[in-house]
Amino acid sequence: MAQEPKKKRVKVSRVVDGHPVEEWIEVDDIEIAWPEKSELKVLNKDTPRVDGPLKVTGRAEYTHDVRLPGMLYARLVLCPVPRADVTIDLAPALALPGVEAAVVLEDERTAFMGQPVAAICARTPELADDAVRAVGFTYEEGDWVVDREQALEDDAPLVSSRLDSNRRVAEERGERADAETALMQCDEIVEATYTLPVQHHVSLETHGMVVDYRGDEATIYISTQFVQGVAPQAARALDLPADKIHVICEHMGGGFGAKFQLGVEGIACCRLAREANKPVQLMLTRKDEFLMAGNRSGSWQRLVGGVTGDGRFGALLAEVDRLGGVGRGSHPGHPYIYSVGASWMEMASVFTNMDSNRAMRAPGHPQASFAIESMVDELAHVIGMDPLEFRMKNLEDPVYGRQLEAVAQKIGWYDHPHRETPGKADGGRNVGIGFGVSTWGGGGAPRCEVTIEILPDGSVTSSVGSQDLGTGTRTYVAGIPAEEFGLPLEAVTPRIGDNRLGNANPSGGSTTTASLAPAVKHAASEARTRFAERLAPTFDCPTERVVFAEGRVFDSENPGSGLTWSQACRALGVNGVVGHGTFQEGLQTRGAHGAQAVKVEVDTLTGAIRVLDMVCMQDVGLPLNRLAVRSQLQGGMVQALSYGLLEERILDRDLGLMLNPSMEDYKIAGSLEIPMLTAYIDDEDERNQVMGVGEPPIVPGHGALANAVFNACGARVRDLPLTPDKVLAALEGNA
Amino acid sequence: MTTRRPSEEHEEDRGSGLSRRKFLKGASGAAVGSVIAACQATETSPPEPVEPEVAEGLAEGLAETVDVTLSINGERHKLRIEPRTTLLNALRYHLAQPLTGTKLVCDRGNCGACTVMVDGRPAYACLLLAADLEGREVKTIESLGSPDALSPVQQAFWEHDASMCGFCTPGFVVSITAALDKNPKADVDEIRAACSGNVCRCGTYPQVFRAALDAGRKLAGGRG
Repeated sequence: MAQEPKKKRVKVSRVVDGHPVEEWIEVDDIEIAWPEKSELKVLNKDTPRVDGPLKVTGRAEYTHDVRLPGMLYARLVLCPVPRADVTIDLAPALALPGVEAAVVLEDERTAFMGQPVAAICARTPELADDAVRAVGFTYEEGDWVVDREQALEDDAPLVSSRLDSNRRVAEERGERADAETALMQCDEIVEATYTLPVQHHVSLETHGMVVDYRGDEATIYISTQFVQGVAPQAARALDLPADKIHVICEHMGGGFGAKFQLGVEGIACCRLAREANKPVQLMLTRKDEFLMAGNRSGSWQRLVGGVTGDGRFGALLAEVDRLGGVGRGSHPGHPYIYSVGASWMEMASVFTNMDSNRAMRAPGHPQASFAIESMVDELAHVIGMDPLEFRMKNLEDPVYGRQLEAVAQKIGWYDHPHRETPGKADGGRNVGIGFGVSTWGGGGAPRCEVTIEILPDGSVTSSVGSQDLGTGTRTYVAGIPAEEFGLPLEAVTPRIGDNRLGNANPSGGSTTTASLAPAVKHAASEARTRFAERLAPTFDCPTERVVFAEGRVFDSENPGSGLTWSQACRALGVNGVVGHGTFQEGLQTRGAHGAQAVKVEVDTLTGAIRVLDMVCMQDVGLPLNRLAVRSQLQGGMVQALSYGLLEERILDRDLGLMLNPSMEDYKIAGSLEIPMLTAYIDDEDERNQVMGVGEPPIVPGHGALANAVFNACGARVRDLPLTPDKVLAALEGNA
Repeated sequence: MTTRRPSEEHEEDRGSGLSRRKFLKGASGAAVGSVIAACQATETSPPEPVEPEVAEGLAEGLAETVDVTLSINGERHKLRIEPRTTLLNALRYHLAQPLTGTKLVCDRGNCGACTVMVDGRPAYACLLLAADLEGREVKTIESLGSPDALSPVQQAFWEHDASMCGFCTPGFVVSITAALDKNPKADVDEIRAACSGNVCRCGTYPQVFRAALDAGRKLAGGRG
């Protein structure tokens, strides 16, 4: 009789629209653990990723590269103004040679700038471009608002008829009176407003898919962070049961939170494929991507902070407006990471007729971090305290203390000439150092179903219905069973990015590794047990004594006379071994901590900032692949620097236009802006469970950057990006 | 890229199948300058009959088509395309066997994902008209190595994890390869300059620098 497994209650992180949501659930209490870090042969090493050779040779096939016989190319028609009553006439476009189908997506009132109103498809991308221009599209412009100030005017047009006001308060935290009382007891008070612009994801592969519709079934190739979510969303548009829709995402060119949904473009592509009865590829253009494919919400934050003479963060009052267009925007709330005597916060959404924000790597956290890390630095400054010491004093978790000390050491803080007071701006070039810390959950949740199959010819496949965003997922899908069976990485074939390979979670909120890796480990462990059971009679030993190591299988009490891996697999006869795995709570953990330091050189004559160095110390639990983890950390640091130095959506508020919907005018950091920065894995973290670390490294970099600029020359810039004009203006204010 | 001034001098020397009259007739005003420039691309080989790779009529649209012979990775490809077709689109969409390693990202010379080599020098394929390139030698990422036989630069990119989502990677590999071809001893600042026309959103720059320095060391040491 199978015994009913014991149950236990655990906290897990699910992803809803890219945002992690924590909840308590009941799971089977199974005893399963990772080997000690020191015993690992494949995991916890610097392992070049398994799909590297395909990627460095241009052979990796992305959605964008899929070519099917007779495939048509689709484009969207976007409404150029923030709000309009629209009329669409598809006939002129359909009359063009090579145009095969067109659909209307919105024929009444648009709600945001760049909203798609129609889609067409043609035999070549060039013909599709012509057809976009040929669509009969007339509109009458309505009343709109595109920025916070317009939205808050007394007679501002309402962004939605469901609103009483364009500003809607979402949350209040703490007692205002208590915070005000605490503020009165502080020795110094700093009042400041911090603003962050809308940032764009700028995934190099735009959103898009190929819909191969064949009447009674379909295959969808799609650049997505959620392979399993596609078929249910496409079913209606294709008028097919979801189980007739095969979804494939072999490789994808970046998502960063914007690619969870099929989206209006996906629905349009499905409709076009049905209408044309041919495969259709719809990849957004770069301009589409900027206008209608999501963004990181902007933020306006007014903070009043109080500090005691001995360096305690005594009180905080915060008003936060999230600026997510027609979306609500993201922000985790204040006082964020720091411990404050008493705090109060009011958080609101201010709506405009702009594209909705979407999840973007650590949704809301970089916004909160910039404001609080700047405020912390300002408070340290008013009492003349070392900002590093001030941080250590006001962070409860001791992990931050050791991490801050490590990054301070590595970046040269202790030899830095001016720590308590900033350098003097005398027209020369000044060096400064700034700090910030990060937090994130990083735990997983149940859903993944993993299959590991060992065949009599010795081949091993590890199959998951998840996706690899470029984080290295595919590599540990092979690495975990390789570790389990004592095989080299190349002996295992990973299969990923296919909705028919087993259910899987969306990849967001740093939940993928903590959700998937435990299920892979469970499947590997099951397969190993089944294999051992089959081989035990051969060795004439109990199952527990069958050992898999270094490409051999043997009885632990008779290690000299075992079988090679291929001999052992042949001994299986016709039937191979299969192991199924599901989420195992005990194999993952949550609670990421990180500290970062940035060193800059500021030209106090021109205001130009050059980043000289940046270091990160991040705890990651058990790193499955140290090389890929460091890349992930460094990638977050680079994105934060890019945000801090360059990135900003620029609008013409009078005409209602986006002025920089191209990579020419919306700059992201390139090789000249980025130093040879370094991320370190915090090996003092003793947790031997896996955790996701995609989000935390992007959180504190731009705040640390602003603090470094202040430390260099006394220019406190409270508005991102940190362009030279703002540095000069801040210097002038200080003069 | 070399700049070529429009001139009538060589208009009769144009390459095989390139009818200038047909060209101008089909091209929009904006494209005329480039078309004239294309006519200067002289080719010494005699004209030969064109067997278009692309099915007749696939590209037929508002504009007329031209027949073009391109030399890509050492092979000649005969195409029937509209004059406005960029080299990037020709590679990705108009070859019978598309070469999709060269990526389309910004389509206006801002990102470097479409970097190829033309006559040995790196160039943005999205800023070149395919019809402009008769007689020029185009090399794409597909010619630099294969998964089973990585070039030294590709090997170093793989080992240093200089590729995450990988969408920018072919462009970076081409730029770094071109730079190290010229100077394998390039230092980190020269490496940064060499790939300053490429962007990576995953943020692999530090790994790219380390990979390029490593590949350069191996190439300079003759072990490539």
